[in-house]
Amino acid sequence: MSRPHSLAKIRCATARRIPRLNQNYHSYEHDSSPSYKPEEDVILAAAINHVPTHGFTSTALSNGIRDAGYPDVAANLFPEGVFSLVKYHLVTERLALSRNAPGAASTASGSVLDMVRHLTLQRLQANKPIIHRWQEALAILAMPKHLAPSLRELALLSDEIHFLAGDKTVDTSWYTKRAGLSAIYASTELFMTQDKSPNFKETEDFLDRKLEAAHSWRRTVADAGQWAGVQAMGIVSALRSKGVRV
Amino acid sequence: MPPRITASAPSPFQKLLITRQPYRCLSCSIRLSQSQSESAPQPQNASSQPTTHFGFEEIPSSSKSSRVSSVFSSVASSYDTMNDLMSLGIHRLWKDHFVRSLNPGSKPLLPASSTSQEPRTEPWTMLDIAGGTGDIAFRLLAHASLLNNDHTSRVIVSDINPAMLSAGRTRAQQPQYAPYAPRLEWLEANAESLPPSIIKDNSIDLYTVAFGIRNFTSPLKALREAYRVLKPGGVFACLEFSKVENRVLDAVYKRWSFGAIPIIGQLVAGDRDSYQYLVESIERFPRQREWRDRISEAGFLVPGVDERGEGGWENLTGGVAAIHKGIKPLNGG
Repeated sequence: MSRPHSLAKIRCATARRIPRLNQNYHSYEHDSSPSYKPEEDVILAAAINHVPTHGFTSTALSNGIRDAGYPDVAANLFPEGVFSLVKYHLVTERLALSRNAPGAASTASGSVLDMVRHLTLQRLQANKPIIHRWQEALAILAMPKHLAPSLRELALLSDEIHFLAGDKTVDTSWYTKRAGLSAIYASTELFMTQDKSPNFKETEDFLDRKLEAAHSWRRTVADAGQWAGVQAMGIVSALRSKGVRV
Repeated sequence: MPPRITASAPSPFQKLLITRQPYRCLSCSIRLSQSQSESAPQPQNASSQPTTHFGFEEIPSSSKSSRVSSVFSSVASSYDTMNDLMSLGIHRLWKDHFVRSLNPGSKPLLPASSTSQEPRTEPWTMLDIAGGTGDIAFRLLAHASLLNNDHTSRVIVSDINPAMLSAGRTRAQQPQYAPYAPRLEWLEANAESLPPSIIKDNSIDLYTVAFGIRNFTSPLKALREAYRVLKPGGVFACLEFSKVENRVLDAVYKRWSFGAIPIIGQLVAGDRDSYQYLVESIERFPRQREWRDRISEAGFLVPGVDERGEGGWENLTGGVAAIHKGIKPLNGG
């Protein structure tokens, strides 16, 4: 999957004008898709179609294997079993975000916060067709042996969202933003599995409340930091005025 | 007061130990194999015949199969007892795990909703190579019958050695294996060139080889043959001794395999050289990564390899044994 072509063009043009300035480590030119072998891709894509009926189970996987024209024994292609199916959903939907991003990028508001909200909602909506089965998937993801790859996938998702939203922070908030979004996304996703409101309106409200809380908390921390800094400077100045060498 | 046993009256067990060479360590056997290859001039090398290894010895390829054959002829009758003693019973767990991870047997599925086609329940044809005593074959059929309720899948047990096959046939008459006997076929064949009239191209669902492939004159030829007989999408699965990755465990394991196993072989089976060959052949078999690469070079898809090219096998007991799998791609003809 390639980055949006228009963005790539803009990027290249900028790079030519001001070389070696404000470059980031994300490559627009190189493929960032995971290495699913084509055979695995075909089978898993076929198996995902069975998830609404059979859930994230080995039955869905077996059906996918048959649909792709493989004999049953080819289930050995997936040593992690059903977890491969869940992970495939996570990976493909994460990558789908960047595919659909250009339209979103041109929204008028354009602030990073709005974009983060927009993209998070977009990702949550991708769970709609299988939301009645998503609790099974969460249970599989939370199994001890799958926990590390699951958390990695969550971290990649919040990184992707922040990247697509145009976040360019280079301080410690790079980490707090991503960690915060990961927590918000995970809790909202869980909320969504219980949401019966039309068009998941309540999930949207839930997400807004969480994002607002995180934002105001971050602002409070920033304010407190600023206040502490001012006080510290004041104390240093006061000490200097008394002739203390600091 | 019972009379004390004096040193002048050794027990029969001690006698056996005393009369034979009591202990050969790893370095001894390496030295031995080196001195043998030095002392015995090898005309076959001079005439540049292809050679292969037989344990630590270099022998002409043409004679390996007969040498291996004589090893297994001599151990066939005590094969199972010896496996238990050598691996402390762990080989049963490995084989159980191997078969469970393969999950053999066709599974009638719930009717698919989107595609209204009839769920296929074609029986599997499995080929157990070097499976003379039926250890894997019985497990495959038991798993298929008991866990997947599949009473039609068949296993062809192939072995190059008639003595091992007859040991398996005898076992198949035991009451616990009797239900599986009609679904077994016994075939005496060389795995490097299976008879095309009996094992046709693209006819096998599952090809298993457990603790056998390292004895082949050319494991690569056997891989190519496996590729030929497997259906597209069929699975090649190999359970074989491998390299222990933990150094401490490896030191213990080396002591055990070179120190204890030939002695156990001598005491129980009365055949030291065959078991000396077994442990040496384990040393000569390629490491996990190399063997995985061979499988993938033969055209198989190796499952479980991550983005960095790591993995693609499963270690058992820290790497004493390892499971390798390969899937023949659909367009593999």
